[in-house]
Amino acid sequence: MLSVESLAYTYPEGTEAVRGVDFAIEQGEIFGFLGPSGAGKSTTQKVLIRLLRGFQGQITVLGKPLNEWDDSYYEQVGVAFELPNHYQKLTARENLSLFRTLYSGDTRDPAELLEMVGLAEDANTRLSQFSKGMQMRLNFVRALIHQPDLLFLDEPTTGLDPVNGQKIKEILRQQKEEGRTIFLTTHDMTVADQICDRVAFIVDGKITLIDSPRNLRLQHGQRRVRVEYHKDETSSPAQHAEFPLDGLADSDQFLNILRTNRIETIHTQEATLEDIFIQTTGRSLT
Amino acid sequence: MNIQRIAVLMGKDARLGATNFMAVYVLVMPVIISLLIALVFGDLLAQTPRLGIYDPDGSEKFTRPLLDHPSINTTLYDSDAALQSAVERGSEELGLSLPAGFAAALEDDSAEIDFTAYRWGEAGVRNLLLLESALARAMTEGIGTSIDQLPVTVNAEQIGAANTQTWSQRLLPLLLIMAIVLGGLFFPAASLLDEKKNRTLVALTSTPTSLLDVYLSKTLIGFILSGIMGTIILLINSAFAGQVALLLLVIALGGLMSSAFGIVLGSVSKDMDTFLGIIKAVGILLYAPGILKIFPQVPEWIGRLFPTYYLMNPLLEVSQNGAGFAEIALDIAVLALISVALLVLLNSVIGRQQQKLALET
Repeated sequence: MLSVESLAYTYPEGTEAVRGVDFAIEQGEIFGFLGPSGAGKSTTQKVLIRLLRGFQGQITVLGKPLNEWDDSYYEQVGVAFELPNHYQKLTARENLSLFRTLYSGDTRDPAELLEMVGLAEDANTRLSQFSKGMQMRLNFVRALIHQPDLLFLDEPTTGLDPVNGQKIKEILRQQKEEGRTIFLTTHDMTVADQICDRVAFIVDGKITLIDSPRNLRLQHGQRRVRVEYHKDETSSPAQHAEFPLDGLADSDQFLNILRTNRIETIHTQEATLEDIFIQTTGRSLT
Repeated sequence: MNIQRIAVLMGKDARLGATNFMAVYVLVMPVIISLLIALVFGDLLAQTPRLGIYDPDGSEKFTRPLLDHPSINTTLYDSDAALQSAVERGSEELGLSLPAGFAAALEDDSAEIDFTAYRWGEAGVRNLLLLESALARAMTEGIGTSIDQLPVTVNAEQIGAANTQTWSQRLLPLLLIMAIVLGGLFFPAASLLDEKKNRTLVALTSTPTSLLDVYLSKTLIGFILSGIMGTIILLINSAFAGQVALLLLVIALGGLMSSAFGIVLGSVSKDMDTFLGIIKAVGILLYAPGILKIFPQVPEWIGRLFPTYYLMNPLLEVSQNGAGFAEIALDIAVLALISVALLVLLNSVIGRQQQKLALET
């Protein structure tokens, strides 16, 4: 679906934003592109959506070199930006209807899309009266209006409350089930962990790691269990202890704690994607 | 380039532009000023020719047909001095000071008839012709014979400035520049700046719509508005005359020049404040030929230094002096050259805008 080889991009003023990036995305995959600000993820996305020209390397999208695509590229590609960009004097329905007419293929009914992200009741409200979260939801569904094969989404859950954030993640999973490929740029590791099939870490214009979140957790997490407990029924300070996950059932000390104390929590010590990112790149995401 | 998408974008721009106060203001202002000028200087509400008569005999034999004439306004005066004063201030375009015994002399075929006609210096040719025709008919009806058989001597005397240009004619060049140039320039620029401000330009270009489609739609809408505004101003000022096809050609070229300039300004301006600042700075250069035309004593070559002269001058030549293509060919060539230069510049601006879009997103 999408393959990138030795991608490099230098801005006109001389900043090398991307330096030899390689990755490939299969059809129906949700691929997370993670990194801190200035790492090169936005530049990579801008090259992939043909906003930035003059890159070095080979990029093939939908079976054709990116350089050979013309504006018909966007008939098969949907783009949602990090910041809302709508006509503020038009209503939500009018905004979607306008963009719908710009495509030559089949498009989805704006009412259906608005319903999908909980904006049906605000369909006839001007965008100037929308909150940022509402505008972000509209940003997101606008990218789906022409039923593209490939979606480029930049921070699609930014500014959303947990309920709406969850709704967007469900829609993304549904899009994946329908066979769509999704390139997701984010610095939200939780979102990436929950919905991405694979993630790539990019730092200083280079990809440092690509794998599935599960594999990363297994490779980089500690195989240990942490127990928090109280020694008696009083409100004494909580104690904690850690045990290797392997041979846990044979650990007398662990079993003794379980039998004789009031247990507060028991957790395996899996690494989060953020921990792995920091561990492998030596950089934080902020 | 996709015509259907350009049409969609034009529809959107027309709708959004209708709610843009500045764009509407720029379009409505020249029309309001035209109407006000017509009202103040009488061209709109007082098209009827105005005739004043001083007849010491008070005989109605000659004056009655003129007083009853449906197409002219005739007023009688008590004295020659009052009549002269009325003509001097423009209340009457023609004043007839009849000698004593005028009516009787009309009936006497052999009598010599001698009278004075005062002409207001700024009276229009059209009204003077109508008045002369009405006078000849009144005399003929009064005596029952042909006017050319009468031994009449008319002492014509002009009162007021020798310049026959009315104020509305003098202000017409400025109004034309305001309507065609500002109408064509402001709308595309304001629309493009709105797109940049709301980041919708990048949203549009992330669909099959190209930046060229967006720019063309805005240039076209400016071009159309410019044409409509130019035609309206000419019509309101009774100047949509002469070779209409030539007028439309000049208006079209002027519209192209203005809208291309507008979209270039919209591209290079960071925001609306910057754009308005540029307009304030270069506005005088756009208006200069129109302002200079208000003062006929200013040498014509000074106006030629400004690009908008080549839009204004051919329009005036065709509508006021009945010029043909040959007389205005040079002006049209210069206007076309400026438009082509702006279109070449626009092409370069589109390329740079693509790069800026990526950097600003």
